[in-house]
Amino acid sequence: MIPLLGLVAGIIVGLVLAPSVPQPLEPYLPIAIVAAMDAIFGGLRAYLEGNFSDRVFVVSFVSNVLIAALIVFIGDQIGVGSQLSTAVVVVLGIRIFTNAAAIRRALFHA
Amino acid sequence: MPEPDDPRAGPGAPRRAIVEEAEPVTTSTPASDGRRRLLSSLVKPGKGQLIAAAMLFLVGMGAVMQIRANTADSAYANARREDLIVLLDGLGEQSQRLEGEISDMEQTKSDLASGADTQRVAREEAQQRVDDLSILAGTAPAIGPGIRMRISDPGHKMTYDVLLDAVEEMRDAGAEVIEVNDSVRVVASTWFGRNGEGLVVDGKAVEAPYVVEVIGDPHSLEEAARFRGGIVSEITGPRIGGQVQIEQLDRVVVDSLHAQTKNQYAQPASPQPTPR
Repeated sequence: MIPLLGLVAGIIVGLVLAPSVPQPLEPYLPIAIVAAMDAIFGGLRAYLEGNFSDRVFVVSFVSNVLIAALIVFIGDQIGVGSQLSTAVVVVLGIRIFTNAAAIRRALFHA
Repeated sequence: MPEPDDPRAGPGAPRRAIVEEAEPVTTSTPASDGRRRLLSSLVKPGKGQLIAAAMLFLVGMGAVMQIRANTADSAYANARREDLIVLLDGLGEQSQRLEGEISDMEQTKSDLASGADTQRVAREEAQQRVDDLSILAGTAPAIGPGIRMRISDPGHKMTYDVLLDAVEEMRDAGAEVIEVNDSVRVVASTWFGRNGEGLVVDGKAVEAPYVVEVIGDPHSLEEAARFRGGIVSEITGPRIGGQVQIEQLDRVVVDSLHAQTKNQYAQPASPQPTPR
């Protein structure tokens, strides 16, 4: 419940205050969001399966976001940024679907 | 549960995948567990939920920022530098190509315009020549400043050579069109002769008083006629005893025409120059 409230509060704050993304971070924000979504789905799955640990969740959240951004950053530096970001999105998308399937099974037996 | 870890922990993920494959067998317990945990999280929140809430807060804010940036900015604001360079290159190439096309077309246009222009100028020049030549040949009426010379010959002593002298003097003074008695146009082939008592010009009998109308510079023409020993002195002299009246006119109309006959033998030696 509280996490959901946190999400809503974040959306509202984003809408009301309308903060702008710092220019150098702009290319990495989308990939960071996808990584964060992956971490959130993973955390929800772990929670539903009874092995949720807030420490692991925080660490995995932060490291996922940072690694995704780092991969894209390095890709940009060596000239394959768009390809690498596509790769990151594909991998994270597969993981999100896997986690979503586990969540679905845990909740609906199907 | 064998996995103590979050699904993103490196070794955990593959094992979990295997578990998922096997899940239908053991599905009843974790599923009811999951629902129970979800319900219990709703009624008694813990510390972990606060942390998750903070994370989700960040994610929600970031997502909104990104969506806003995506919708507010143009499509190129978030593009990568390499993509922008490729785009710019493409646009530069395209504009170069189009500029080349423009210059080609302008070249064509100026070519066509100058072609039309030279053709028009040539046609105008040709028309000008036709006008000049038709006046010279006597096939077109003419108008302009000039003089009218009226020669009275009470003693009928005028001879055709005196008339020819008069015409020659006028030509010397720059006469462009000469007409005798308002009926005979004097051209290159005009001849003067005698027919019994009267004079004949180009086969037409002319009678005194002879009126010679000349288009040219009026002053020069009159001077040419009146100079000492000239045509006026000759006519008014004792041999003929005639009288000459000369009036300068701003407007002399010559509308008698010379009927041109087609050359039977002579032909241009070189092909006619094309009007260019």
